[in-house]
Amino acid sequence: MTLVGPDRLGTQEQRVIDAALRCAARWGIGKTTLDDVAREAACSRATIYRLFPGGKDALLEATTRRELDRFFTGLAQRFDEASNLEDLLVVGVVYASRALAGHEALQFILAYEPEVVLPKVAFRQADRVLTAVSAFAAPYLTPYLGAEEAPRVAEWVTRLVLTYTLAPADDVDMGDEESVRRLVRTFVLPGLAVHQQSAVS
Amino acid sequence: MSVDLTVQERILEAGYACVARYGLAKTTVEDVARASGLSRATLYRYFPGGRDQLLRDVIAWETGRFFGRLAEAVAGAPDFPSLLEEALLFAHRAVEEHEVLQKVLQTEPERLLPQLTVESERILVFIRRFLVPYLEREQLRAGVEPEQAADYVARLLLSFIGNQGRWDLSDPAQVAQLVRTELLAGVLS
Repeated sequence: MTLVGPDRLGTQEQRVIDAALRCAARWGIGKTTLDDVAREAACSRATIYRLFPGGKDALLEATTRRELDRFFTGLAQRFDEASNLEDLLVVGVVYASRALAGHEALQFILAYEPEVVLPKVAFRQADRVLTAVSAFAAPYLTPYLGAEEAPRVAEWVTRLVLTYTLAPADDVDMGDEESVRRLVRTFVLPGLAVHQQSAVS
Repeated sequence: MSVDLTVQERILEAGYACVARYGLAKTTVEDVARASGLSRATLYRYFPGGRDQLLRDVIAWETGRFFGRLAEAVAGAPDFPSLLEEALLFAHRAVEEHEVLQKVLQTEPERLLPQLTVESERILVFIRRFLVPYLEREQLRAGVEPEQAADYVARLLLSFIGNQGRWDLSDPAQVAQLVRTELLAGVLS
């Protein structure tokens, strides 16, 4: 599955996907039927089948893909606005954490249907997440860190987003820029300075 | 109390053996009763929630044992960086070689992972408490507190134990580099 791609969905597809997300946030994936989605999108079941041949599975896959597209598009925008390494890491972490914590459908599924999503992202399967995110973020980090170091640091920071979002800490608020800046300054930047200094000197 | 614990342990051990043999979905209270040589009534007395509670507790019990073995394996390390290196090497190998874990991850991840995720909060606390006394003996960077550093290091340890990502955690040289940079560069002065 390609995680990043051009947005080729028409407005009708978008509307059905938005409806599917609202249903998933309310009832989860297991209990949501195509009838529910059709009602929510104010269209017919037949329309959904025409737009997503394969029915519920195809709709679920298209929804996942659209959400990932949206996530990476938003992340790219934040990255483009950052003008130094620290800001790049901070805005990336804050954006990603808010996107995860604020995704109502994802949060419902994690809380009530964890068996649907965890097998796709835990242990060996975590490779997918780590690889996809670090491959996407690495080019933004390369100007500061070099091509070899960039993917390593991207993966490291991805791990931080995941651990602090999935198991929140008392003293770290991943949605708060100041809190994330403290975390990045305390634990991440020193791990880069070692390499930067040795590369420079 | 100690007698109770022994019976409970006996049931958990039998439950674990059944999970190894039949998997999480197919293990029944009868299986565990037979394997432990105890009656169904006794099992329900110790696990009033029946099968669900028993399986939950078996997963928690084996997870606890796993991290207990890990703590024991690294306790004699000469310094803090070596302790973390040994922990990563040991835990990575132990996960790879854990036959029951690997089998269940292959065949019934949807039954195991939600439970392990619940356990992971407790594991984080366990690792944190284990690390704090070591950190209190180290010279930390200005502004870094042992508790805060322990939480950070515990999180990364757990993350790397679950998935090594781009690192090869069976290679001591790579593990040493990982510990020096991502785990400790911001912690030790």
